[in-house]
Amino acid sequence: MKKTFLLLCFLFIMAGCQDRIELEQQSYVIAIGIDSTDDKGTYEFTYQMANPEVGSAAGQGGSEEPATETVTVQGSDILSATFTANSFVSKKLTLDHTKVIVVSEETARSDDFIRVIQSASRTPQVRRQVQMIVSKEKASDFINNNKPLLETRPHKYYQTMLTRAIETGIVPEATLHRFFQITEGDADLFLGIYATTEKSDQKSASEGAEDKYIAGEIPQIGGSPTQFMGSAVFKEGKMIDIITGEETRLAHALDPTLRMEGYLATVPDPMMPDYRVSYEYSQAEMPKIDIHYHKDKPTTINVEIEFQIEVIAIPSLVEYTQNVAYRKKLEKEVVTRLEQNTKALIEKSQKEYRSDPFYWSLYVRKYFKDIPSYEKADWHKKIYPNAEINVTYTLDKLEFGKMINDSKLDEVRD
Amino acid sequence: MQNKGFLRVREIAAMILLLVGVKLSDSTPALLTQKAQNGFWLIPVISFICIFPSFLLMLYLLKKYKDKNLVHLLEAILGKGAGKAVSFIIFLFAFLSMTLDSRNYIEQIKLLYFPESPTNIIFLIFMVVVFLGAKKGFEVIGYSSWIGLPLIKASAFTIIFLVLGDLVLQRIFPIFGSGLPIILKEGVVKASMFAELFYILIAYLATRETAKFNKGSIIAALIAFFEILIFYFIYITVFDYNSVAKIAFPFHDITQFISFGEFFTNIETLFMVFWLFAAFLKFIIFLYITTWIFGVIFEIKDFEPLLLPFGFLVGTIGLLPFNSVINELHFRETLLTIMSPFFIVLPVLLWVIALLKGGLRKK
Repeated sequence: MKKTFLLLCFLFIMAGCQDRIELEQQSYVIAIGIDSTDDKGTYEFTYQMANPEVGSAAGQGGSEEPATETVTVQGSDILSATFTANSFVSKKLTLDHTKVIVVSEETARSDDFIRVIQSASRTPQVRRQVQMIVSKEKASDFINNNKPLLETRPHKYYQTMLTRAIETGIVPEATLHRFFQITEGDADLFLGIYATTEKSDQKSASEGAEDKYIAGEIPQIGGSPTQFMGSAVFKEGKMIDIITGEETRLAHALDPTLRMEGYLATVPDPMMPDYRVSYEYSQAEMPKIDIHYHKDKPTTINVEIEFQIEVIAIPSLVEYTQNVAYRKKLEKEVVTRLEQNTKALIEKSQKEYRSDPFYWSLYVRKYFKDIPSYEKADWHKKIYPNAEINVTYTLDKLEFGKMINDSKLDEVRD
Repeated sequence: MQNKGFLRVREIAAMILLLVGVKLSDSTPALLTQKAQNGFWLIPVISFICIFPSFLLMLYLLKKYKDKNLVHLLEAILGKGAGKAVSFIIFLFAFLSMTLDSRNYIEQIKLLYFPESPTNIIFLIFMVVVFLGAKKGFEVIGYSSWIGLPLIKASAFTIIFLVLGDLVLQRIFPIFGSGLPIILKEGVVKASMFAELFYILIAYLATRETAKFNKGSIIAALIAFFEILIFYFIYITVFDYNSVAKIAFPFHDITQFISFGEFFTNIETLFMVFWLFAAFLKFIIFLYITTWIFGVIFEIKDFEPLLLPFGFLVGTIGLLPFNSVINELHFRETLLTIMSPFFIVLPVLLWVIALLKGGLRKK
């Protein structure tokens, strides 16, 4: 009797092994690429799998294997294509550790994009924290061309690359979670990360700033060919445009739900316009967004942004630190430039996109008691495009780093 | 029965907290959002306001009639035959709720953690564990609930803490979701989401002094209510109104979403352990009190041998629904809708009858 009972016990315990799968038997997909094909409903999926032996102590040093394996197969959705891929990949493809989904620009601009990306949210394997990258070229080319030199392990590469780029504000935080919220909320624009490995007409830095680029335009010598810069603008689940790194930073500054650490930028020196003054921009507080909704007349949106700058370099050697009049001029220059650029971006969004990339619809919601009336008021079509928007930047602090004065040129060269 | 009356306020409170509070992690939010959209987090408020007075009335009646549990009370007020009939209805409600709920939990375990294993096997193992737990008797269940509670709550608070950064408070607007009338109606119709409070009344005599039971159950009901409210609030502020309606298991979507900083991602298994622990305890309690109600109705003194057949029945009936969506959105919704008026009105009726019969004057 006792023996039978014991046997029965083991029977139950063993049933827990049904889902047992060893680490050895799994291939961890780090990046998924999605390309459309000529057939509607069929897509090309590219899976970049990490080789866990590379860069770990378990690799025993001498391993000659590459850090990743990249395969491309056709299929109708992200998960079922992994099984097709198993006809030539030796292990089970697991999507639990996927860091990015790369979508080619062509696919992102198609009407059917929402159908293929939706399948990502149904499976529990793909996390909501996965970042969405839009690549200028085919996604499979992007993943294949992307050859990081130092961070060869792909998960570390994407993690560090994106974290840093998002911190500096040149690309937005573009998780699937945010994509679905904004798309399903049917208001606002979603910004995806824009990246490429192809060079296009390169702008030189003399044209103005360090962030007025989109990916592919940055003159670069050496390093990995992949550039992350700017964002892909999505309206209603479909890509409609690309904005530059500078505009992405402004969107960060204006959107309280996005996080940005601060960035370095330059303005033309107000005293000697041949040179530029570099400064570090940071926002200690969230922007204050105050929306007054009016049913019959245009809604007014007042945005106040308090920011701080720390001057990093003054190549013109003008004495901004001690001379009050000069300093005022510099302050004014910074603020006007920010306000001008913001105004241009807002105008573009109102006229061209007819929606906002700042997630401001959140702030108008409190004027409605229920969702039907909110949806009837229509943020996309009626409220935002006609709104009167005032953005004021207030300079809260102006620091000059650890130097009080620069060298005096006339004294140095006397 | 291994009940010696050693349970205190804290064990009773812990059991009720687990029985009712764990609801925040199943598919009930998905059920509520279908109609109420982002106003769904207000539904528990309405439901609680509707059902809590009835529950207090029940406690009052039990106190007046002294030394009676739920079924005996019904028999004393309504007469033997009618009392047994009504009790049997309560038993059926409890049994069906347990069956449909358990299927829901099985689906969660299967979909998220054991995708390859067949549902039957998971169900079987789950019910075997529940049966073995329930067999230990009511007091052991009470102690285990009390011991397990801090761990379970600590993990829940860790989740709240980690998700705080992703809350966007403006998402609760428009405040009434799809409209105030709908929220009010749904609040009343779904009031039975707190129906477990009534089932546990079968254990009214489990404590040495009934005042302890009163105190424990009232405290636990309030805490469970606030817990559910907090979590529903988190769901709506993390997911937006259109997204939350699409998510079947928001609790697990949140555990998958959060991470300890950059480095420790994919940490959901950590929370799964405590969640599973809570789920086991919930169904252990549920199975025990359901069988208890049955035992008292049919005057079976030693009802514990019935736990096995009942556990088996829950498993087999629970497997019948075709899939979890039908189970949740169709069967469970219908059941809740039928149960709500019953539990809101029954105590009032009992009170009126008791008043007319003069049962309240006696003491």
